[in-house]
Amino acid sequence: MKVISSIEITPEIIGNLSEYYRRNIGDYPKFFKMDGLCKTGFIASEILLQSLPADIKSDIAIVLFNRSGSLVTDRKYQQTITSEENYFPSPAIFVYTLANIVTGEIAIRHKIMGESSFYIMSENDTGLQNDIAMECYLTSNPSMVLTGWVEYENDEDFYAHLRLLSK
Amino acid sequence: METLIETLKNQIIDVLNLEDLKPEDIDAEAPLFGEGLGLDSIDALELIVLMEREYGIKLSNPAEGKEIFKSVASVADYVSKNRKK
Repeated sequence: MKVISSIEITPEIIGNLSEYYRRNIGDYPKFFKMDGLCKTGFIASEILLQSLPADIKSDIAIVLFNRSGSLVTDRKYQQTITSEENYFPSPAIFVYTLANIVTGEIAIRHKIMGESSFYIMSENDTGLQNDIAMECYLTSNPSMVLTGWVEYENDEDFYAHLRLLSK
Repeated sequence: METLIETLKNQIIDVLNLEDLKPEDIDAEAPLFGEGLGLDSIDALELIVLMEREYGIKLSNPAEGKEIFKSVASVADYVSKNRKK
């Protein structure tokens, strides 16, 4: 297994997610519709993938991990359905109540057709993540695997450590 | 009607997270879907929720929605004639 490149992002490293997007990306308005988990994964993957040619990107597999799934957005959605008098379920929030949406957002952005999956694990174990990610090569032959940890609690507390791996 | 159009523009920016837009960027007569603001099907559902939450308007006929959500101006026109709050 080879680590082609890797990136870590935290509020201390990149500052505010939306401000980072405006300063450095700025051509994908759908970013603002994403929940925090997707924004975190989107920014980290953008840094890793932006310089790769399209034909390489199309075959990448995406295998991501975190501890809390989409819990932050689940709670936000719950707030829209808790009160009987103010019962207005939000479709825009509901669509992000699955953690694996972040893999889909990255795939749509970069036209990635490879397989994708999202795992919940209790600890950020880089070795185990790499082992699971490399299992993609047992069933398909991706050009690379984008893997790593993506966690979002709020705009002052997020973390992503993504890596591009190959055989 | 101008005030309602301005209010709707702000509400649409807020509920649809159009953070890169200001009210003055939105042409009241421009199409909301496809070209124009380029909204999608989830945005359409969110607009239906907005109509009910803010104006007490329940939209039950999907065909009706196509005309109502043609532009901010058409939404304002429908709201002014049908609002319950």
